[in-house]
Amino acid sequence: MDTDTGIGGAAGQFPSTDLSLLAAANGELSNQALERVVALYWKPVYRFIRLKFRKSNEDAKDLTQGFFTTALQRDFFRRFDPSKAPFRAYIRVSVDRFAANQRAAEKRQKRGGDVEFEPLEENQVTTESAEEAFEREWRRQLFTLALDDLRAHCNESGKTLHLRLFEAYDLSGGERPSYSDLAVCHHIAETSVTNHLAWARRMLRTFVAERLRDVTSGEGELRKEMRRVWS
Amino acid sequence: MELTDSMVDHLRRVAALPDLTGTRYELESEIGRGGMGVVYAARDRQLDRRVALKVFDLPVAGEARLIAQLEHPTIVPIYEAGTLADGRSFYAMKLVVGARLDRYLCGSPSLAERLRVIHRVAEALAFAHARGVIHRDLKPQNVMVGEFGQVYVMDWGVDAVAGTPAFRAPERRLDQRSDIYAVGVLVQFMVPEAPPALSAIARKAMRPDSAQRYPAVNDFLADIERFQEGLPVEAWREPLWHRLRRFGSRNAVLLWLFAAYAGVKFLLFFLRNV
Repeated sequence: MDTDTGIGGAAGQFPSTDLSLLAAANGELSNQALERVVALYWKPVYRFIRLKFRKSNEDAKDLTQGFFTTALQRDFFRRFDPSKAPFRAYIRVSVDRFAANQRAAEKRQKRGGDVEFEPLEENQVTTESAEEAFEREWRRQLFTLALDDLRAHCNESGKTLHLRLFEAYDLSGGERPSYSDLAVCHHIAETSVTNHLAWARRMLRTFVAERLRDVTSGEGELRKEMRRVWS
Repeated sequence: MELTDSMVDHLRRVAALPDLTGTRYELESEIGRGGMGVVYAARDRQLDRRVALKVFDLPVAGEARLIAQLEHPTIVPIYEAGTLADGRSFYAMKLVVGARLDRYLCGSPSLAERLRVIHRVAEALAFAHARGVIHRDLKPQNVMVGEFGQVYVMDWGVDAVAGTPAFRAPERRLDQRSDIYAVGVLVQFMVPEAPPALSAIARKAMRPDSAQRYPAVNDFLADIERFQEGLPVEAWREPLWHRLRRFGSRNAVLLWLFAAYAGVKFLLFFLRNV
């Protein structure tokens, strides 16, 4: 079965950095910071290509890889103008152009000209546009990375109980346990459960902001992106 | 573990809520979103009263202090300002019970009532400008009309606010005259089919070149007051027929008395010569 990719990168591979895209505009962006950009955008780009250009898993992965390779080789970051659009929109439009150019090149190479598209599988049929899928995947990836940061932080600072409670309550896929159930289960007071959860949510918010800070051009764009995430 | 859509939605919801640990407030519900943050209804446990809590998306300094300086009946009083445990700035203010201006207008208030609101908004701006504060984002969504007709101008400017496109003056660097531009748009919004003199006031306030607008809100206010009193406005050179009509409507009683006097005189003259 042609399933989605598992590639995307765990946050542990991408250490924190204070560099922003403004540094990129001067050509000073470090590899670590670039990796953070790729970590956040790989999956949204892949998903966008897959839906918009109806590519198979492998082709979409190749195109995504090709896009980032080209972006890193050329002065992609230098051309980003924060006064025109947020970085997220810049990436999406650039991917769109890149994939369209690739498709045109493929078409020219083929005799007869027609490009054969991979048929969409049943589970891929959706009313969602590629742009919407990109946004949704971007949010998911942002939270995935922030959660990885939260886990790392909890483990380093010995707040494993906070993490366990947070995972049991806020990451519960099904029915959430009650606060009193969690209090009994972990031998703590119910107020401690709510306090621990509040702490973990607060930290998650901080890590989301940090992740966004790395891929925005400054306070103004960061604010807009924060609004986009929370509203 | 792959996050499902519902998990992401839940995380967005719980992590967006302000962390009120260590404050005297209890969250009730969200009541609105401004340019810089979210406004919640909350309960002040210490004083057992409801308040409005504005929580900024990111730490900001100054807005609360800025508004706290503005003690005026049309400016919502600030009770407390500070930083939440999650690092976000907040301030608590009076919870205004009433309707936002755009919704208030759905009740089709009279022209006189609309002019009263415009007048109150301009008074608030003049008061703030005199203290060196500009609003930056005046629009119907930032004006509240209370249940007893009180008018409040909210969401006073923070440097980072760029304004709302339809109400934003064309100049890049916003100043007091940018607020005058916004109040001109507000007049057009509130009175779409305004009499010529009122339209002229709005147009003058909205001139693209800020040097051609009213130099100060007080000048705008003076023109609004002239219009309310039926006097000629500075923004409009009215044609003769309009001046006569306005003279007639302003002096209707006097004219009727004069007409009656002339009628009686004419009748007496007529009777004497019959």
